[in-house]
Amino acid sequence: MDKIPILKLGNILLVTIQVDMHDRLAITLQDDLTARIVKDRARGVLIDISSLEMVDSFIGRMLGNIAAMSQALGAQTVVVGMRPAVAITIVELGLSMQNVRTTLNVERGVEMLQHAVEISEKGNLR
Amino acid sequence: MELYNIAKLIMLFFHEYLADEIWTATVLTDKLGLFTAETYQKGREEIIRRQQMELLELSTPVIKIWEGILVLPLIGTLDSSRTQIVMESLLQNIVDTNSAIAIIDITGVPAVDTLVAQHLIKTVSAARLMGAHCIISGIRPQIAQTMVHLGVAFGDVVTKASLADALKYAFRQAGLTVT
Repeated sequence: MDKIPILKLGNILLVTIQVDMHDRLAITLQDDLTARIVKDRARGVLIDISSLEMVDSFIGRMLGNIAAMSQALGAQTVVVGMRPAVAITIVELGLSMQNVRTTLNVERGVEMLQHAVEISEKGNLR
Repeated sequence: MELYNIAKLIMLFFHEYLADEIWTATVLTDKLGLFTAETYQKGREEIIRRQQMELLELSTPVIKIWEGILVLPLIGTLDSSRTQIVMESLLQNIVDTNSAIAIIDITGVPAVDTLVAQHLIKTVSAARLMGAHCIISGIRPQIAQTMVHLGVAFGDVVTKASLADALKYAFRQAGLTVT
């Protein structure tokens, strides 16, 4: 069974999801990611879903969970690379992506993360 | 006229036989008439359908008005099928131009009811998922009143009365100044 690779970029962890998610893979990813956040003392997590042509409520929930877990460990999460069709599906399905920040590409995602990390370090209430 | 007189004469002698023939002829003429009418109608409906499709495509342009700022002038009513096209077009343009701000101008939308507002909110949410902030402009006084009466809440979506105001706001968001 394949694992999802997690790359380190400064104090940001980059996760690229390229295969279809199923239960075990999702749980493995959550385990790996939370372990890495603690080990590398990461302040940000960038999840790239540009290879996903389709997102269902399972993946939506998983992304929300990862965001919440990372937050608990003191890291901010940004999801990048959402395709137009995927965005429309999420809106039509009414999936609430409240606690998940999203943006267009990795560049903007990194900016956003740095900004979010600054804010959280200052201890501002969001 | 002549034919008719001859037919009358023949009728007097062979009325039964001729009656059958006349009946067949009448039925045939009826069918021909019906067929002509149907073909004509089908042709016209095909034209109407094709024009409808063209209208749908024509009336949702997305214009890049500045580096990273898109303008979407909506003309006409916003129903489900149009919303779908508007959403797809806008999102694809956001990807292509890497824009962070999209201004949706609804000056050309004659009436905004709860359904239209819902479509607009869906479009704004989808754009936000792709990392673009939406500003809705062109809200007419009448529409503002209707929206409040209906209890439509645009939430945290910025709304402006004119495209000029929306543009000024967009420039400020992008950190640009006009000198």
